[in-house]
Amino acid sequence: MIKLSNISKAFGRNQVLNNINLTVTKGEVVVILGPSGSGKTTLLRCVNYLEKPGDGEIAIGDFSVNCKHARKKDIHQLRQKTAMVFQQYNLFRHKTALENVMEGLLVVKKIPKEDAKQRSIALLEKVGLGNKLDAYPSQLSGGQQQRVGIARALALEPEVILFDEPTSALDPELVGEVLAVIRKIAKEGITMIVVTHEMGFARDVANHVVFMDGGVIVEEGTPGEVFNHPREERTKQFLKRITPELNYSI
Amino acid sequence: MKLDPSFIWTAFVQLLGAVPTTLYITVVSVLVGFIIGTAVALIRIYKVPVLYPIAVAYVTFIRGTPMLTHLLLIYFGLPVLIDGLSAYFGWSFRSVNMPMIGFAYISFSITAGAYMSEVVRSGLLAVDRGQIEAAHSVGMTTPQALRRIVFPQALAASLPNLSNSVIGMLHGSTLAFTVSVVDINAKAEIVASTNWKFFEAYVAAALIFWGLTVLIERLTAVIEKRINLYNRGGVV
Repeated sequence: MIKLSNISKAFGRNQVLNNINLTVTKGEVVVILGPSGSGKTTLLRCVNYLEKPGDGEIAIGDFSVNCKHARKKDIHQLRQKTAMVFQQYNLFRHKTALENVMEGLLVVKKIPKEDAKQRSIALLEKVGLGNKLDAYPSQLSGGQQQRVGIARALALEPEVILFDEPTSALDPELVGEVLAVIRKIAKEGITMIVVTHEMGFARDVANHVVFMDGGVIVEEGTPGEVFNHPREERTKQFLKRITPELNYSI
Repeated sequence: MKLDPSFIWTAFVQLLGAVPTTLYITVVSVLVGFIIGTAVALIRIYKVPVLYPIAVAYVTFIRGTPMLTHLLLIYFGLPVLIDGLSAYFGWSFRSVNMPMIGFAYISFSITAGAYMSEVVRSGLLAVDRGQIEAAHSVGMTTPQALRRIVFPQALAASLPNLSNSVIGMLHGSTLAFTVSVVDINAKAEIVASTNWKFFEAYVAAALIFWGLTVLIERLTAVIEKRINLYNRGGVV
């Protein structure tokens, strides 16, 4: 279980996150929605400390970090319990697909090389890239790179995988292959927090939808609740703008 | 005065004896300079308190003054410092025991460090921020991320500039003659002064420097090809 308590974050005078509380149970797929600038990516990046929260507490299982006095060791441990899939893929450019997946296993988990290799190959096959093991990121399409990114995250067997708009940088026809992979691993019961604009995906993969605006969680619930019966005005407006076919009475 | 082509060859052979001295000075100053430069670049990028202003001052001062001046400052200043310290702490070491080439090593390393810091810094800045974030996200510590992810890519990005610096230091090493170190150029002067065939001797010296430079360029091209394998499909 992941529990974020009273997370706040400001960039200078700009308060980006304001007292966020969020609980994610094991195996849950949480989708965070919201207009740009609502703080959803910042919240996600706070979970693995790529962004340092100003205040609050992050707990994963029985491990917790108090953001007021987090030590280097705590941050390191937190990062070992999480993995991230980036909008811009961020594959290690000087390493092949296989080496990208192996890197964390070798350096962080200290798994013997042959073992790490076998596990990485299996994961790359799982995301449909068994034939691209020795390709460098520059030789792969965006969709392929993102699937390597997912394999790299899976390899670490984290408590939670954080997806930061995983399909936003992709050509429309490549979005499908990446979403299919995410769907597949979601079914395996891996805990995920996903920031996305793919409403269709959010609707049928999420168990838990969070709508953020202005640095606060405006509304959360099951996809059925949030998409079909939004309670808050701001949620209705957002959903109406982003999915015109839905017609809410505002 | 007539040109004596055969003396070019005679001088050439004699100058070869001074090649190791030139190479020692170049290699030492480049290696030590690279270490200093990397440290300074990291201090500047991470804005390390206390060290940051010192690093900035070091780079502007060294880049703002000629290499020959550094050598003379070290040559005349260091003995005062060493002998002062020796007297204070009661060491037996005296500056007169220091080999001349030591002054060249120290001063040129300091010079190279300042220039290399800029080369390394531009290489590090060329690496996308997302790379270190990705390394952190898989659980690497910052030193692990720097060593395994950032430095290899920064090195690839700064290789052309790095090779420029090496060539610069190779040619700059000729200044060592001012503190009586016999490098290729100084040797040419010595060889020439025995029979006043200066032009021929310097032609030989030029040929050797040119050859060494071409060698460095070739070596760079080979390394570049190897470590830039991953960039296929990039701009270059």
